[in-house]
Order: sequence, then C-alpha cells, then structure tokens
Amino acid sequence: MNSNELQACEDEIKSLEEEIKTLTEEYEHSQHQSMAYTDAEIMETMKLLRKEPEEELKQSESSPDQETQLNLLEADLSFLMKLTGIFFTHYSRKLAGKNGSKTIQSYRLSGNCQPISFQLEFKLMEESQMNRNVSAIVTDLNIIIACDTYCDLSKLVSRVEEDGNLLLFFRSLTCISECCEHRKRTFAHFKNKYPDIVVLPEGLYGDYMILRSTQLPGFELMIVWKIQVDEKGTITPILDLLNKIPLQGAIADRFASDAPCCFRSLLHVVGIQASIETVIRSISKGK
Amino acid sequence: MGEVAISFPDGTLSLLEKLEASAHKVALKRGKIKEHEEKVLKMKMKIQELRRQRDELKTKLNVCQSQLIAGKDAMKSSRQVSEATETSQQAILKGKIENAKGLLELFRLTGLSGKLTEQGISLCINTAFEGTYLDSYYLDILIQQPIQIRHHSVPAFIPLEQIAHEHLQKDIKRFLSVLSDHLNAYARRKFQADQLQEHFAVFFKGCMKGNSLYTQLEFNYRVTEGGNFPFTAKITYGNPMNALPTKVTVVCKEDAPAPVAEMAAAHLALFYEKPLQEVFISITASAENLRQPITLASSFHSACGGRRVPSEAAAL
Repeated sequence: MNSNELQACEDEIKSLEEEIKTLTEEYEHSQHQSMAYTDAEIMETMKLLRKEPEEELKQSESSPDQETQLNLLEADLSFLMKLTGIFFTHYSRKLAGKNGSKTIQSYRLSGNCQPISFQLEFKLMEESQMNRNVSAIVTDLNIIIACDTYCDLSKLVSRVEEDGNLLLFFRSLTCISECCEHRKRTFAHFKNKYPDIVVLPEGLYGDYMILRSTQLPGFELMIVWKIQVDEKGTITPILDLLNKIPLQGAIADRFASDAPCCFRSLLHVVGIQASIETVIRSISKGK
Repeated sequence: MGEVAISFPDGTLSLLEKLEASAHKVALKRGKIKEHEEKVLKMKMKIQELRRQRDELKTKLNVCQSQLIAGKDAMKSSRQVSEATETSQQAILKGKIENAKGLLELFRLTGLSGKLTEQGISLCINTAFEGTYLDSYYLDILIQQPIQIRHHSVPAFIPLEQIAHEHLQKDIKRFLSVLSDHLNAYARRKFQADQLQEHFAVFFKGCMKGNSLYTQLEFNYRVTEGGNFPFTAKITYGNPMNALPTKVTVVCKEDAPAPVAEMAAAHLALFYEKPLQEVFISITASAENLRQPITLASSFHSACGGRRVPSEAAAL
C-alpha cells in the first residue's frame, strides 16, 4: 500500500518532468522565433507599432536599409569588443530624473572580459549644454564580479565604487585579461616544449605549474604566478619558486633556501620566459 | 507491539532487557514509518514545485503567443496579414538596432569607442577624472600597409608621432593604450587646475601660470579668504603619463612667521598625495577650522569632488 503511494508519486514526478521539458522546448522555440526578445521587449515593440501606424509603411519600405544598418552596427560592436576585450552581454537603461538640461539615467550593464565577468549598476548624469568639457558623471556605482581564476580585485573594486571611476575599471579589466592570456600562453608553451617535466594540475587557467625532475623521482619545483592588482589598477605579475625535495642534507637545504632568491634575481635580469626556461633546463639535466 | 510478557518474575534485569529490546523495535518501526512519510512528503513537495514550474511555463507560453496574436490582430484590423508580419519583423529589427546603438554608446565608458569605416577605423579615446568623463579625442586610421593616421584631434603637445612610431605598426592595442594614458593624464591635470581656479579663485593671487601640457604649474595662494598671499607653489609633473606630481615646492615669504612656514611644509606633503582640488578642500577647511568650528568644508567637498554636482558647484 505504502509502496503504491510512492510509485504513484514517482510516476507523477516523471510525467511532470517530461511535460516541463516539452514546455521548455516549446517556449525556447517561440522565444527564438521572436528573435530572442523577452516578453517585455515584445510588448514594447508592439506598443510602438500601435502608436505610429503611418510610419509603419515607410519602415517596411526601408527594410533593406534597416537590415544593412543593423549589420553595420553589429560589425562595429564585434570589432570594438575584439579591440577592447570587453564583451557587453546585456544592458538596460531607465530614466531616473530630469532637471532642465540635466538627465540622469540609471543603468544595468553586464558583460565579461576573460576571465572576469561583471555586473554593474550605476547612474549616469549627462547635461546637454555643459559649459565645460565635462561630458558625463558616474554616481552610485555598484560592481559585482566573478573571476574564473584566482585574482584579488577587491581593492580595485572598492576604490572604483567610491570614485565612480568606470574608465579605470574597464582599462584594468583589459590589462588583467591580457596578463592572464600571457600567463596562459606561457604555460602552454612550456607544456608543449617539455611535456614530461611540466605538469599543470589546474590546467592552463591555473596560477601555477609544477616541474618534475625525470631523473630524481619526488623532486618537484613549483612556479607560482600570481597577478596582483592594487587599488589604482596597477597590475603586477608576481612569480615565486617553491620546491619539494625528498633529500636531506646540506646541499639540498642550501638549494631550498637559495633557489627562490636566485629565481627572483633571474626574473629581474632576463624576464619571465627565459627564467622559467633556465629552471627547466637545470632540472632536466638532472642536477 | 504487545509482545512483552513477564515470564521471569524475579529476573528484573532480563525483563528490562526485553522491554528495552521491544522499545527499540518499536522505535525502529516508527523510524521506518517516519522515514517513509518524509520521503512521501518530499516527493509531494517536489511534485508541487514541478507543477508550479509547469504552470509558470504554460503562462509564459500563453503570454508569448497571445502577444504575437494580439500584435497580429491589431495590425489585421488596418492592413493585410502579410504586411502585418512584415511590420512586426520591422519592429524587432528596430529594437535590435536600438539595442546595438545603446551598447555602442556604452563603449565610451570603457575609454575607447569607435566604428569601422570604408578604409579603416574611426576611433574615439575618452578621458575621465574619477567618475567625471571629460574630453574625447578622435583618430581616423587607415588599415593598410603601413597603417596610417589620416585625421586626428589629438592636441599638438601630445607626442602622437613618437607614440605612433614606437607602437602603431607593431601593436595597435598597445599604441591606443599608451596614447590613452597620455591623453588621460593630460585631461586629469587640466581638470584639476580648472577646478581649482573655478572653485577656489578667492585663494589665488592672479592667474595660475602653467604650460600647455599642464606639467608645470605655479601659483601664489592663501588659505583664508582675506589678507595677503603668503605661499607660492611650484608643481612639476615629471611623468607626462601621470596626474600626480613628481616635484613640488611650497615657499612662503621671508618675513613669514614660524606657523606659516609649518603650514607650508604640511601643504607640500598633501600636494604629492592628492589631486589639487582635494588639497585645497583640506587646507582651506583646516584654516577655516582654526577660526570657526562649522565650516564650508562639506559643501566644498561635494562641489569640488566634481563627480557629484559640478554645475551646482559653479554657484559657489
């Protein structure tokens, strides 16, 4: 009797899940048909249509022009996104106040700049006849970010929120993105060149690589590559050499204490790529 | 449940054991029932949740379809069906165009916006001091070998040619980033000097002297609204890509009393750390504080931060 009840429940759940699946598909399909616009947006456009019946005719006549216009705009957008590395995925704008020539709009803007995704809320005050060279002022800025790799942006974010300095925020994102890309490329380069020695436990997007000696089992060096961001948006790569040596004794101890220091001075002199190369060569010789 | 029987009248212990055992059994049984009930309850809750989801989806679908139908109906009344579908597509196209335009416009907030042209790109570098967006500069670039700048509105004192020579052919992103650093630092220095003259004019003797790049500034000032101007500041921005000075001197007149000389030293430290208008907010406020506990400091602050209400600030 009890098990019957359970069975009945399970059956209902199954059928509901199936129903939801088909409904979702149907809904997605209809969304797709309406060019991926949300319900509210469809309403908006419909309202517009009803308001201006005379203009409709003109619009349908100029249809090819509009399509070309849209294509051009989209080409511009994709070009700018590639150039800056910043991808805007969605935005909404609402009039928050109007006072003479001043307008205040509140914005919500989300997007990403690999490996960081952001969601911003702010007010933008613009004046149509600003006497000076001020074009717009950002206030009430709120930033939510999510980062795929470990990178502490909290200092920068709180400073930017305080100042409303969106320009600094975006420029820093671009720089961080380039730094992460550089790190990824470097890791990939060494993994390809020395596949037996280089191990990337967290993949290309991680912040460290492990170098394993082929001759000395258990001997490992770890190169940690952090990207530090301060509150002014200055980005500094910080590299460190850590080691795991299974041996005891004076030579091993001296190596353990000297290696990080030597690595740092090497970095200063020859740069990141050549320093890592040197370390790998030195352990692949079995020293 | 009723299986407890007293068979050993003197075996109190064993009786207790039996009692315990049966209690355990009962508990187990109850536990099982409870577990079962919980399972059923959970499932029922899940069913409810799923039903809710299904109903929501149904409503959404209905709304979506009825909107399309409603739209079509509205147009049917005035026009033929074929035209109506065309116009609804037209509206969607219009919406898409608006959306793309909005996103393109938002790119100026990143400091770099622009569009493709027939032979290349037309770019706009935007500048800002904190949350205040300032002037924009244009570059019209021909994409060919070698890359050429056809027109631009970059001021003559910005070393555009040198920057282009170093980076333009090799890495256009780097070129734009360096140029933007130069333009931003210049715009920020200029903005600071302008703010100072606008909101603190009463503290200055005559005009501020400076070069066109705003990397050298010199002015005589006082910290009270009356009296003479005891201080002279010379500010040098040694790095043209920075908006904070590298060298500052503050001197006061030879006959100045010791406290004034002390003030000059305090000012000096501030000039190195803060933007000019913030330095003046703090030094004029502290001078005012000496005489009058309630000051204009807060109103100065909101006015001269520039980022909040600059047009009201003009009223000061």
